[in-house]
Amino acid sequence: MMLDEIPQYIVDLAKRLGATDVTAKLTESRRIMIRFSNNEVTVSKAFLENSVDIFVMIEKHRAATTISTLSIRNIKKAVENLIRMAKSTPPADVYAPLPQGPFTYNPDLMRAPKIPLDPDNLAVYVESAIKSALEKGATRAAGTLNAYRSRITLATSGDVYASQEKASMEISIRAFVSDLATGHAVSVASKLEDFHPEEAGSMAGEIAKAASNPKPGEPGKYMALLGPMVLADIVNQVGSLSSAFLVDAGQSFLVDKMNSEVASERFTLIDDPTLAGSLGARAFDDEGVPTKRNIIIENGILKTYLHNTITAKKFGVETTGNAGIIVPYPWNLIVEPGYKSPEDLLAEIDDGIYVTNDWYLRYQDYRAGDFSTIPRDGMFRIRNGEIAESIRELRISDNMLRLLRNIVDLSRLRMWVKWWEVEVPTLAPYALISELNFTKSAM
Amino acid sequence: MEDTALFIVDKAREMGAEYAEARLQIDLRESIIVKNGVLEASVFEESRGVGIRVLVDGALGFASINSFRRDNVEKALKHALKIARSSSKLVRRKISMGRGDLGYGKFEVKPRVDFKNVDLDSRVNLLKEADEQSVHAASAGNVKAPSRIITLDTWITEKIVLTSDGANVYSVTPRAALFTLITVFHPQKGTVQRYLNLGETGGWELVERWNLPKIFYDETYTLSRILTEAVKPPRDEMDVVLGPEVVGIVSHESCGHPSEADRILGREAAQAGETFLKSDSIGLKVGSPYVNVVDDPTLKGSFGFYLYDDEGVKARRRILIKEGAVNEFLHNRETASVFNVESNGSSRSAAYNREPIIRMANTFFLPGDYTEEEILEEVKDGLYIKNFMEWNIDDRRFNQRYVGLEAYKIENGELKNMVRNPVLEITTTGLWSSVDAASKKLEFQAAYCGKGDPMQGIPVWTGGPHIRLRKVRIGGA
Repeated sequence: MMLDEIPQYIVDLAKRLGATDVTAKLTESRRIMIRFSNNEVTVSKAFLENSVDIFVMIEKHRAATTISTLSIRNIKKAVENLIRMAKSTPPADVYAPLPQGPFTYNPDLMRAPKIPLDPDNLAVYVESAIKSALEKGATRAAGTLNAYRSRITLATSGDVYASQEKASMEISIRAFVSDLATGHAVSVASKLEDFHPEEAGSMAGEIAKAASNPKPGEPGKYMALLGPMVLADIVNQVGSLSSAFLVDAGQSFLVDKMNSEVASERFTLIDDPTLAGSLGARAFDDEGVPTKRNIIIENGILKTYLHNTITAKKFGVETTGNAGIIVPYPWNLIVEPGYKSPEDLLAEIDDGIYVTNDWYLRYQDYRAGDFSTIPRDGMFRIRNGEIAESIRELRISDNMLRLLRNIVDLSRLRMWVKWWEVEVPTLAPYALISELNFTKSAM
Repeated sequence: MEDTALFIVDKAREMGAEYAEARLQIDLRESIIVKNGVLEASVFEESRGVGIRVLVDGALGFASINSFRRDNVEKALKHALKIARSSSKLVRRKISMGRGDLGYGKFEVKPRVDFKNVDLDSRVNLLKEADEQSVHAASAGNVKAPSRIITLDTWITEKIVLTSDGANVYSVTPRAALFTLITVFHPQKGTVQRYLNLGETGGWELVERWNLPKIFYDETYTLSRILTEAVKPPRDEMDVVLGPEVVGIVSHESCGHPSEADRILGREAAQAGETFLKSDSIGLKVGSPYVNVVDDPTLKGSFGFYLYDDEGVKARRRILIKEGAVNEFLHNRETASVFNVESNGSSRSAAYNREPIIRMANTFFLPGDYTEEEILEEVKDGLYIKNFMEWNIDDRRFNQRYVGLEAYKIENGELKNMVRNPVLEITTTGLWSSVDAASKKLEFQAAYCGKGDPMQGIPVWTGGPHIRLRKVRIGGA
């Protein structure tokens, strides 16, 4: 049997064994990763993976599995086990039959451009990114280059059989002028012509150079300019926690906020997997539903949670095409831009702080939205509309809803962000935030 | 499995590798999720494949494939060799594998109650019973528990690690872990949340021992008290007693991570960051003489248990801070070679398709001489922080924040009223230097430590006794 025949084989077999609903998703992926630090490669990796995710329902009884040994014998055994498991599972509270196809998908979302997986070619990108960072004044650079190609083939009992390709080129580079003066930038793209490792290297180097000789920052509430990497991290929180599953689990500050104001009217957040050629483009979700452009927050008002068929039934709405069989999730987050340049936004700050990157965001209470995160890499004190000095050792300690409501303005310029700390591809502008609370260690 | 591992290593040497390592690993995992009293999902996952590392011209190549078939593993091996060769021109300092006490043998943790003998109904019913206790406790505390989510994972890891220089270690390790997030709500007081991780190495017997219904009742009832009774925390300099859960996370974040030799060398610089410690920091004073922190994979039953690491090196206790001074770093064979020491067996990988890197196992503050009563009775006006929710630390592991969840005022040696969300925001040396006492009784918590690229979440324990900090500022600077 050919690999791409496996999903339909599984669906037919599971139905014969008594399943009312079945999905089988085959993922074939190839990834090359080159990691580097101190201007040299530390390790190169190749990942060769073929696996199948199977989900069955016998009305309210559900079970799921992932298998990676794709012999007929093993597939049969796995499906039989899964049916047995589903039959012995206590019933869930709702039964939502899988959406009935066949569906029509946008062909532009189903093909991916060619990207190189040859390590010799990829090493050149790493060299050029490091070189650019050093040319801007960095003394060392570290990071990761990823080249990824995959094909997803999905069959469901709802007459879905579809296949979609994905490709991405990603580099994340952190430049060091000293241990305390660093800058970070990324270039991520699904097409080779949109991939610019040398620009990422230059930007990281420039931030690191500007961050030289940082002084301890002073805690307090400031007008803050958050760079695209920081806003992308925040927006990943909003997008991920708009999943109806997490809302139902209380793991979200968006609980009970539907159609209410959760952000400044300047802020519109869209999950748009229909943007052909973008990193998170997807033609169909894991239930075979055609994806669509979902406005999560429109001019500050929460318009929808992200749903699969099961959460949609629980919430009494239609699926948004964001399955995740168990947990719905965003594909491709887009923040609508403002009108000003980042420089104009910075010029509006009399006394504030510019943060270029952050990491380690943790909640005291997801539902209330109380959190903190740590600025890293270049952080600057702004006085009279200009960068006054490089600062360090501050933490953003605030509330997610307050932060979103305190968005004063957004830049026209946006950047695609995805890296170790930001999982969902996000197109983010610079954001001007009023009264952002910064704290600091005591001793 | 052994034949395939031997085939890979022999073939790699034949094809020019200076060093080769084959790890064949199977993880069989069963998970159930109960949300608000309803079973949301039952999932069975089989993760099965080979991870291969080779050294070629001083460059390291890793490749993984989810198959044990000879033709497939040979394909993966060729990839590993090719990418290592290709990147060798971008390697200035040739990588080599340092000394280590390499193992040979089979090691199996035998469960008393095998997971396969526990049916789905029993698992679901146990979680439902625990969930019901949450609802009862909330009611008894005059609050609501509107959201509860519980995940129970049981899994068995079977693997063989075979290296071209003689390690050959086969192991079977069963583990169980539970995660929960409980939300308690009061219309006038808002919400409070608690997440809790339990995890150990062993069979179903350990899940039975946890007594989940009692844990869920007690935790939820405490949340109701925090919500309805706790008052605004002070912002002042005072003595603070930290409970084992807080001491555990501090030991992990402010001692374990800074001690990882790959961070010291900058290998994680663009991801989890570096460390305030340097290659020559052994002997550096970072705390008071009462501070002794170790990492020990050999604790029987622990979540981070192993006897040989994923390079086949024998595991042992590592004394990271001894009497307030940096004593030892965590090493794999690569960093051992750079530091000219012997690997102390800290190399771990989360799955067959992840490169083994330096990880903690069970990191904890060693117990002292005090009873808990003695620790408290010498505090005139202070704070007891029993556990926490929010925490983070900067990427040099120097500035950290822990926000208490269950916390109490201490007056004249006695616990008084609860306080809400006290903030300990402090430097690593500031915290360790203010320790003046540790209690005798050691407790552990389970966690998944995140590191590496791609990310690897790996089971660990964190722990310690109660410790006392003198004159630290609550509420940050």
